[in-house]
Amino acid sequence: MRRGELLAVVGENGAGKSSLMNVLYGLYQPDSGVLSLDGQPVRFKSPRDAIARGIGMVHQHFMLVPTLSVAENVVLGREPTRNGLLDLERAVQEVSATCARFGFQLEPRARVDTLSVGSQQKVEIVKALHRGAQVLILDEPTAVLTPQESDELARVMRGLVAQGHTVVLISHKLKEVLGVADRIAVMRRGRCVAEVRAADTTAEQLAALMVGEGQRAPATTSPPAVSQAPGESLLNVRGLQATGDNGRPALRGVDLEVRAGEIVGIAGVDGNGQRELAEVLTGLRPLTSGSGALLGGPLSGLTPAQARTRGVGHIPEDRLHRAVVKALSVEENVALGRHTRPPFAKGPWIDFKGRRERTRELTVAYDVRPPDPEVALRALSGGNQQKVVVARELDARPRLLVVVQPTRGLDVGAVAQVHAKLREARDQGTGVLLVSLDLEEVLALSDRVYVFFEGRVTGHFLRHEFDERELGRRMLGTTEPGHA
Amino acid sequence: MPERVRQMLPSVLSVLLALGVCWALIALTLEPGTATDAYLQMLWGGIGNWPAYLDGAAATVITRPLGESAMKAAILTLTGLSVAVAFKVGLFNIGAQGQMLLGALAAAVMGAQVSLPGVLHVPAALLGAALAGAAWAGIAGLLRIYRGVHEVISTIMLNWVALSLVDNWLVVGPLRGAAEGGQSITGTAEIQATAVLPRLLGEGSRLNLGFPLALAAALAVWVWLTRTRSGFETRAVGLGAEAARAAGIPVARRMGLAMALAGAMAGLAGAVLVLGTEGRYPGTLGAPYGFDGIAIALIGNNHPLGATVSALFFGVLRAGGTRMQLLGVHKSFPELIQGLALLFVAGRMVWLALLRRRNVAPAASAEVPRA
Repeated sequence: MRRGELLAVVGENGAGKSSLMNVLYGLYQPDSGVLSLDGQPVRFKSPRDAIARGIGMVHQHFMLVPTLSVAENVVLGREPTRNGLLDLERAVQEVSATCARFGFQLEPRARVDTLSVGSQQKVEIVKALHRGAQVLILDEPTAVLTPQESDELARVMRGLVAQGHTVVLISHKLKEVLGVADRIAVMRRGRCVAEVRAADTTAEQLAALMVGEGQRAPATTSPPAVSQAPGESLLNVRGLQATGDNGRPALRGVDLEVRAGEIVGIAGVDGNGQRELAEVLTGLRPLTSGSGALLGGPLSGLTPAQARTRGVGHIPEDRLHRAVVKALSVEENVALGRHTRPPFAKGPWIDFKGRRERTRELTVAYDVRPPDPEVALRALSGGNQQKVVVARELDARPRLLVVVQPTRGLDVGAVAQVHAKLREARDQGTGVLLVSLDLEEVLALSDRVYVFFEGRVTGHFLRHEFDERELGRRMLGTTEPGHA
Repeated sequence: MPERVRQMLPSVLSVLLALGVCWALIALTLEPGTATDAYLQMLWGGIGNWPAYLDGAAATVITRPLGESAMKAAILTLTGLSVAVAFKVGLFNIGAQGQMLLGALAAAVMGAQVSLPGVLHVPAALLGAALAGAAWAGIAGLLRIYRGVHEVISTIMLNWVALSLVDNWLVVGPLRGAAEGGQSITGTAEIQATAVLPRLLGEGSRLNLGFPLALAAALAVWVWLTRTRSGFETRAVGLGAEAARAAGIPVARRMGLAMALAGAMAGLAGAVLVLGTEGRYPGTLGAPYGFDGIAIALIGNNHPLGATVSALFFGVLRAGGTRMQLLGVHKSFPELIQGLALLFVAGRMVWLALLRRRNVAPAASAEVPRA
């Protein structure tokens, strides 16, 4: 990258954008390769080194203390002192000076939690500049901003570049990247596959570069085409809306259907409402609007217990948080959620014998190692923990199985096994809703795919219509919403 | 070494270390011989003076100390259970003291002002005390569930509310016992004879029905937690609330009921104190058994049976501690031992790390108390 330019780094999730920036900022150490700054090879052992060399980073999630003022946040870590005491007056003056120099309008005495998200981001930028950053890295800066705030940020970035700073913008929003960047580097699977001048390219070309030209082989062999027609409708939602954890709408009117005996994939870049969809379907998140039928009952007001009773299985994304209790034993985790029914219970009592026998059968069938029902789950490797989850959910013979990122962090063998089990369930008549950020996984397993972008369905593809480039464009919202 | 034994070792070693430190303190301030003698006196004062008995003394040299120990152990067991049960669902109940005061008051009122046949009076008074304690703890439980108020804060504050309500108003005001024979009394009226917990070893010993009752409560809580569906749900909520919610477990109901059960245990402790030894709610219920429950539970590793063993041990020490005074050693040493043991148990992870270095231990680590 050159001084005084705005470089954008784009790529799919998991392409390595954030890892690369974390190396630049000293959070990660490179395994090999050389980092050069102003022609000098450098090695950052920690962000402290990177800051000292004039590199600043604005994280996607702000690192601010909400109850402190703007000035206090900016000087945090290098506070001006007088006689060993904090000199807040000088802090305010210094911060005002920095704001004035770069044209930011911020009230140094305002408490950070009273500011809008866009202003908080400016505080982060001022914080980096105040420490003398010459190179500023912004990781997905517009993910949390309104369109107006995004435009404002674009002006701020251009202004910094005009003053001789270098800005690195990480994003997967192609339109805004094209509008603001000088050069664009495209990353795919940990490599920089292309570097283009923003003026010489289009969103279409970038999307093709990001997704790849479809030359890669699927990770696992394609499933046999389902000969029989899909079965009864298990899930049918219309106009589904729900709010995300940040209080903003995460689902903005989703229509979709899942039938018995099919795997329906949800493709999309992280944070476009897929997670919230899975939570609504399993009763973990209330829907705010829309209607739906789920296994013969209404979707609104669904509780996790009702979802289970109706026959919804759930393999959640966040295994340790949602799927298992790692301080409990393997057999107790196998019973979790089904502990009120045989063979796990006899009346109000736990059926120790039944639970032990069923757990033994499952540890053999799913090759859980060690095959010891009594050992605490935390003693198992991540892959084996996931096998326990998959075994439990499939053993309950769900009619609808909601699966989120089922193979994240698993090794190749475990991935193949999980995929085989999902297909087996499908062939036995279970409807599977598969949410994955790994497009290859979605395409390898699914009979149909819905593409999600910003809480809406922007594409629907049948298996024979799969086209990675078209899917990729829809995942990035570069075409108007509509059905293929 | 089996995992179960390994889990117990930090508590056992902490208690031994506390005993050692206190011995050294007495030895340094007085004489080493005195320290050993004091410990022996404490032992005989707690479990009965067996040497004297074998030399031909009356059986009361055994039964009287045992009665004192059992009385204290019963109350400590119940308050320890109160803290341990809440802990299992992931809540830290600092409010056993306040819940115990309410339970004691309910038992005193039921015992004095309700007339029932003997077989019903004691159970009714116990039930009333349990419900009073449960209701008091339930306030903290509901505040936590519906308003997100941290139970440590609310239970501490409710302790003070209970103290003011009971000791400073009800007992000296509306519920104050009538003057008898020209003598004005403090506290509530004397309970009726039918409400007194029967003594089990004759009049020479204060061992009463409260002791087997406390042991039965501990056993019941243990069976409930380990053998029943609802006990399993309670533990699952305590160890992973979000996973429990995703599994369809009613997290709020489990928290509320466990907190109520915790309060019921503390309430029973108050009832055992009033119906077993005091005979009424005295002017003030000075003994901080509710706060001792925190130490008892933590030293017992928050296990119902562990808390029971720890209550038995410290019941013996407390009862025997008074006899140390014969040698000029202050009777508060048992409490010092308890406090030091708690301090050492708090370093549980250090103990486990020390133990792990010596043994090829499984990858599992201990359950860390959340405070």
